Amino acid sequence: MKNKSMKKFSAALCAAATLMLAPASHAQEVVKFGLFHDFTKVYTFVADEFSQGQRDYLALLNEEGGIKGHRFEAIVRDHGNEPQRGIELYNRGREEGAIYFDFLSTPVANAIAPRALQDKVVLGTPLHGRGDAMVGEAFPYVFPMMASYWSQAARLLKYVEDTQGGLKGKKIAHVHIDTPFGREPLPILQKLAEQKSFELRTFAYPSPGNEQSAVWSDVRRYRPDFVLIWGAGNSQTVSVREAVRNGIDPAKILSVVWLTETDMKNVGESTAIGIKRVEVVQPGRDHPIIQRILDKVYKTGKGAGPEARVGNTYYNYGVADMVIATEGAKLALEKLGPPLTAEKLKAGLEMVNNLDTKGFMPPVTITPQDHQGGGQARVSQWDGKAWVPVSDWAAAYQDVVWEEARASAAKFSQGK
Amino acid sequence: MDFLFLLELFINGLNTGLMYSLVALGITMIYKASGVPNLAQGAMVMIAGYLLWATIALLGLPLWIAIPFVVVLMFLFGLAIERWLLRRMVGQPVLMIVMLTLGLEILLRGVGPGVFDAAPKRLDLGLGLAPLVVADVFINRAYLIGAISAGILILLAAAFFRTRLGTKLRAVSDDHVASWAVGISVERAIGISWGIAGVAAVGAGTLWGSVQGVDWTLSALLFPAIAVVILGGIDSLLGVFVGGIIVGVLGSVIPGYLDPIVGGGTRDVVTSVLIVLTILLRPYGIFGREDIERV
Repeated sequence: MKNKSMKKFSAALCAAATLMLAPASHAQEVVKFGLFHDFTKVYTFVADEFSQGQRDYLALLNEEGGIKGHRFEAIVRDHGNEPQRGIELYNRGREEGAIYFDFLSTPVANAIAPRALQDKVVLGTPLHGRGDAMVGEAFPYVFPMMASYWSQAARLLKYVEDTQGGLKGKKIAHVHIDTPFGREPLPILQKLAEQKSFELRTFAYPSPGNEQSAVWSDVRRYRPDFVLIWGAGNSQTVSVREAVRNGIDPAKILSVVWLTETDMKNVGESTAIGIKRVEVVQPGRDHPIIQRILDKVYKTGKGAGPEARVGNTYYNYGVADMVIATEGAKLALEKLGPPLTAEKLKAGLEMVNNLDTKGFMPPVTITPQDHQGGGQARVSQWDGKAWVPVSDWAAAYQDVVWEEARASAAKFSQGK
Repeated sequence: MDFLFLLELFINGLNTGLMYSLVALGITMIYKASGVPNLAQGAMVMIAGYLLWATIALLGLPLWIAIPFVVVLMFLFGLAIERWLLRRMVGQPVLMIVMLTLGLEILLRGVGPGVFDAAPKRLDLGLGLAPLVVADVFINRAYLIGAISAGILILLAAAFFRTRLGTKLRAVSDDHVASWAVGISVERAIGISWGIAGVAAVGAGTLWGSVQGVDWTLSALLFPAIAVVILGGIDSLLGVFVGGIIVGVLGSVIPGYLDPIVGGGTRDVVTSVLIVLTILLRPYGIFGREDIERV
C-alpha cells in the first residue's frame, strides 16, 4: 500500500514537473548563429569589434526575452582567413545546429558559398564576399544585406556628381590595394567613366600596403580632381598619410567603407580633416539600439568586450548585421512558425521589407531577387573628431551595378 | 622622360630601401654570430613596435625614456629566445633551427595582436607629414630620417664586430667547436647576438611603426628584408646597406614606370626576381662570404 502511494506520488510529481518544464523548454528554444571570423590574420583590424557588436546585439535580444520564445546563441571561432579552416568550422557549426553563418572574410565566404547553396544554409556576407551574391536567383542562400563594394563605389561617384555639377571631364584616381578586393569596383568605375565621360586612372599598391610612397608620387603628378582609396586596415592609414604628404587636399579623398575613427586617430585626428568615406551604418552611441545595449548588456556586465568599443564604426556594423539577420528570424517565426530552420530563415530574410531602424542604417528591403537589401549608403566626412554625414541614404547607379552583378552571377550559374 | 619624377622615385626608393635594411640588420647580426638565418625578425620588429606603443600609450612614458626601456626589454626578449628555444636545438640540423624561427614568426604574429588588440596603433615620433620639397621633388621626411638612422645603426654594428666581444661572436659563427676549445662561451655569444637582433628590431619597429602604425603588418617587412640579405649577402653588413638600397630603388623606380602600363602590382615581382636571380647567379650575395667545405 505504502509502495503504491509512493508510485502514485512519484508519477504525479513527474507529471507536474513535465507540465512545469514544458513551457520553460519552449521558452528556451535556441537559435544558433555561426559567427566565425579572422581574429588572427588579415581581417584582425575589424573582426574583434564586428564580432563584439554581433554578440552584444544577440545578448540584448536575449536580455529582452528573445524573439517569440527563442533565444540566440553565437558560436564564435577563428578561421584565420583560411578557407580550409573555414570549411571545417562550417561543418562543425552545422553539426551543432547553426542555421546562419557569417565568416567576414571574402576568400572564406567564397569557399563556403557553393556549400551553403547546396546545403541550404544561410550565409550572411555583409561587406565581404562575392559582389554578385546580391542576385537572389543565382545565390538563394547568400545574403550580402548591405551595399556591395560596387554600390559603394557608385554611391561615392554619385556624391561627386551631385556636389560638383556633374562628372564630365573630371579626373578620378582609384588608389587601391592590389588584391581582388581592391580591384573589385573597377568594372563599375570603368562603365561609369564611359557613361559619364570622366577620366579614370588606377593606381595599385602591393599588399599589405605598408609602403606606398612611389604610388602616391605618381598620383600627385596625375593631379586628380578626386581620389578614391580602396584598402583596409593599416593600408588605409598609410594611404591617407601619403596623400596628405603629397599635398592632396583631404576633401578630395573618398574612401571605401573601411576607414574608421581608429584609422583617423592613427593618421592624426587633425591631419586629414575633410576626408570622406561611404558608410552603411551610423557610427557612434547616439542611437536607441546602442543605448539599449549599454543599458541592458553592459550595465549588467554581460558585454562581449571592452565597453569603450561600443559605438565604433565596425562595432555598429556588427550590430547592424545581427539586426537584419534577427529581423529575418522574427519574420520567419511570425509567418512560418517554429521550429526555425535555415530554409525558414532564408524565407524570413526575403520578407524584410523597408526595415526601419530610425536612421541606424538605411531602410532595408530584401526580396527573393535582391539580396543586397537595396544598396543604399551615404557619404560622411571627418571633422577632426567624428564622422559627420554629408549626404542622405541613397542607392546610386543601380542599373549599372545590377547589370554587372547579373552578368557575373550568370557565369557562376554556368559554372564558369 | 620626366627627370624629376625619376629622381623622386630614386630618392624615396633609396630611403625606403635603407628602412628595409633596418629589418635586415637583425637577420645579419644573428647570422654573423650563430650561422642561423632568423626568419622571426619580422615578428620581432612587430613586437618591438607593440612594446614601444604600450610603453608610451599605456605606461605614459615619454618617447626618449620609452625607446631605451624597450631596447632593454627587446634585448632580454632576444636572450630569452636563445635560452628557451635555440639552446635546445644544439646539435640539430640548421634546417630545423630555421624552421623553428619560422614557427616563432608565426607564433608571434598571432600573440602580438592577441595581447595588444588587433586594431592598428599610432606611434607618433613628432616628425609631421609635411614633405621636404627640393626642386619640386617631394622627399618623405620620415623615410629620410629612417634611412639616416639605418646608416648609423649599420655603422655601429660594423664597429661592434671590431670590438673584443664582436670578434668572439664572429669566431663563434665561424666554428662553434673551435670557439669552445679556446674557452669562448658559445651559448652566451649566441644569446648576445639574439639580444642585439632584438635591439635592432626596436630601431625598425620604431621607424616603420611611425610611418605605418603598429599592427601585424609590421611583420610582413620580413619579405623585403629577406630580399636585402639574399642580395647583399646574409653575413655582410655592407651587403645589408647596399642590398637595401638596390631593393628599395629598383622596387620604387621600376614599378613607377611599369605599374601604369600593366595595372600595378609589380613591386613584389621586382623583389621576387631579385631574389631568384641572386640565388641563381651569386648564391652568397654581392658581399657575402663563400664558404668552402673541404671533404
